[in-house]
Amino acid sequence: MTVNRREFITGLGSLTLLGSPIFNARAAKLKKKNLVVVMLRGGMDGLTAIQPTDRRMEEVRPDILVTGTKKLTSDFNVHPRLESFLSCWKEGKAAVVHATSIPYTMRSHFDGQNLMESGGHTPYADKTGWLGRGIEASELGSLAVSLPMPLVLRGNLNPDNYYPTWMDMPQSAEMRLINSSYSEGSPLAHTMQRVINRPVSMMQRFDDNDAHLLARVASQELSREDGPRVAVFDIGGFDTHAAQGGEDGEHGERLADYDKVLTALKEGLGDAFDDTLVLTLTEFGRKVEQNGGYGTEHGYGTAILMAGGLLKEAQIYADWPGLKTKHLYERQDLNATIDARSVYCSAMSYCFDVDFKTMKTKAFFGDDLEDLSGRLFKA
Amino acid sequence: MGYGLREGEDIPDDPIKWAEQQIEKPAPLTWPGHIPTEKELLDHRAVFVYQDRKVIRKKYKNDRKAYKKAKDQLRYETGERYFKALETVIRQHAAVHGDAPVFERIWHFWCNHFAIAEKDMLDRWNTGVYQREIIRPNMCGNFTDLVKKVTTSWTMIHHLDNSQSVSPNSKWGKYDRKKGKTPSVNENHARELLELHTVSPAAGYTQKDVIALSYIMAGWENPHTDKREECNPVKFNANKHEPGSHKVLGQKFKQRGLSAKSKLIDCIEFLCDHPETPKFICRKLVRHFVCDEPTDAMVQPLVDAWHETKGDLPSVYKALIKVVYDNTGAEKKFLNPETWLLQCVRIGGLNWPPSPEDMEYDFKSKPRQKTREPGFIMRELGHDLIAPSQPNGWPETEAEWMSPELLIRRLAFAKKFANDNEIGLFADYFAIARRNFDAGEDVQKYLKKAKDIDFYSNPKRVGQALFSSEWMLKV
Repeated sequence: MTVNRREFITGLGSLTLLGSPIFNARAAKLKKKNLVVVMLRGGMDGLTAIQPTDRRMEEVRPDILVTGTKKLTSDFNVHPRLESFLSCWKEGKAAVVHATSIPYTMRSHFDGQNLMESGGHTPYADKTGWLGRGIEASELGSLAVSLPMPLVLRGNLNPDNYYPTWMDMPQSAEMRLINSSYSEGSPLAHTMQRVINRPVSMMQRFDDNDAHLLARVASQELSREDGPRVAVFDIGGFDTHAAQGGEDGEHGERLADYDKVLTALKEGLGDAFDDTLVLTLTEFGRKVEQNGGYGTEHGYGTAILMAGGLLKEAQIYADWPGLKTKHLYERQDLNATIDARSVYCSAMSYCFDVDFKTMKTKAFFGDDLEDLSGRLFKA
Repeated sequence: MGYGLREGEDIPDDPIKWAEQQIEKPAPLTWPGHIPTEKELLDHRAVFVYQDRKVIRKKYKNDRKAYKKAKDQLRYETGERYFKALETVIRQHAAVHGDAPVFERIWHFWCNHFAIAEKDMLDRWNTGVYQREIIRPNMCGNFTDLVKKVTTSWTMIHHLDNSQSVSPNSKWGKYDRKKGKTPSVNENHARELLELHTVSPAAGYTQKDVIALSYIMAGWENPHTDKREECNPVKFNANKHEPGSHKVLGQKFKQRGLSAKSKLIDCIEFLCDHPETPKFICRKLVRHFVCDEPTDAMVQPLVDAWHETKGDLPSVYKALIKVVYDNTGAEKKFLNPETWLLQCVRIGGLNWPPSPEDMEYDFKSKPRQKTREPGFIMRELGHDLIAPSQPNGWPETEAEWMSPELLIRRLAFAKKFANDNEIGLFADYFAIARRNFDAGEDVQKYLKKAKDIDFYSNPKRVGQALFSSEWMLKV
């Protein structure tokens, strides 16, 4: 289990929520659509998660080929550990964008993760994130919940934040007393008032290490009409240089972590799952050929897993580049034929009701991205 | 400018002199346990990365469980789960038990100014010792010398990828091109040297300047060897360096003497002498200690001291101390979580940080919960000085620190500190408040209110109320 409290503390997994307060005028007028981003750190292998039926896979990955996959289409199968994803697919509530990536080909985790969050071209050059800028552009106001703020969410002003803790929370009477020491009208008093106004569910102490719990808290908040609109999960451990394995391998375990988050979200959101979009985000895919340690090295093209009732249909959306050596990026990596940022920009434009061009300008520096809303999401 | 008065400590007769005495030279660390050196820690890292990348991945390629077990064992043997907590303890021990709290606070400022983000396990072995061995001994000299040390340190070079730079017309670059590869410089380090460490964007540099500086810096590397990977002392590799001269912010830099090393040294001197550098650094210092939006009048004395002494840092600190003193009472600063925590500990006489016995470690098994706790706690408070998420470090302003969740964490910790510590008597907290706060009467009234509420009859609650109060959060 990778997304848990303990490991959040050690920096491997975390959860962030983001939303809009009811007081916001624009938010009140719009139908609430939730956007959940699950960051998969370490380089998620699109070819393991959504495996092409191409016979070439057997040649390049004889020792780590995933067996027991389930059929999605005639060209692609899904990893057996993605059970919840598959059941969503059957309901028309899961889809894949394949052979995609952020425009980054240098294979460094740190630079790549920085760019997947900033949405820019030069590592560390941008100090804000695409989701933060997108929320700012939506004028929805926001309630960010994270500790500390991940880069992807930076760029929206005055965020509220939440993250469950194992600490004993102060009781409300204690808080009222403490509040009496804060200067009236000060930012401190204002912040304290927001704490005091929090629903009880956000003021509980959590000892449990289970990802289900984190996802359930997130989904409770997301399903409230006046609750958060955006949640960000953070799952680590996809950097499988060794013992990547097939069905029961390390990469499969990490995919199962993602799948558990999806399960908890689906159950916790209930009907609101239909007004939700869950997207994955990773820094790069992995090399097509296996390495000497029965793992894979850093690559380029990968897949975006999508789930939620806002999807148009169950589909593999791709401009498939092929797996023959001549089709590979630098003769070694799955090529990326779709800029992953087109997907994220479309998702924000769609969920926050901001026209694509404006979103592109505000969140992605006006880069040449394609509006995929009509292809991927419900009309 | 410190962390408040401990029990038995008197208000100094001459606060300015009291503060000035602390910043003439680096204060000794106070930690009575073992303090590891950079070499020692680099050796641990070398064992970890070599074994991890070159040995166990191959050895256990077919056995995921055995691989995990071997990796955990490697973590224990190399202190991968240990040193970060130890570094936190070493740092905080000096703040709590040392006699130079002003020096310690300025040290924390520089650690954040020359921040090392959480990246490639730097927080596990390298960042803490970099703060102790590179920043601390060099922060009471000239700013230029401090920047030279930081820029050519192992940790900063690894952090900002300078080892990766192979400039196009260098010996290696030409070789790469023959092989069909495109050599390139990594711009990270050059960009942050300009943006974050010295002149700031106010200097109006362009991408051209960044690339020119990257050429000047190319060749400064942590050399790679088979058995130790990148864990070798910094060297200048002339074979990766771009020959010729380069212009940064209008100034031309060319080799003097036998080594092209001189180009970077000259360029750092130029950047540190640039008029924007003292303006940027001095404003940031005043922002850290006085208020979020310093006036020009507050910053100017520091800038003047900088110009008069050509960047002698103790002279700048002295000007800062005077500005802090002159604005005491008029300006209040919302303290960052670590400063607030250390203040609670120091004035409350709390049992923190853990003792050398608590921090003992056998390098054979998982460190005890108690041993790792100092690392966890800073993360829970949302402010881990060894592991900010970005190279621009932790925020310096109230707006960035003021969020419901971060406030709750402090309130929860205030409760925990009060509960964990044996200050049982109401009188103690009242005495603490009298000793430390000018607004004594208001604080006393507030604490009485805490005492008089039923569920506060537990004296520990009075401590909680004190630590959570505005008087503690905003100083």
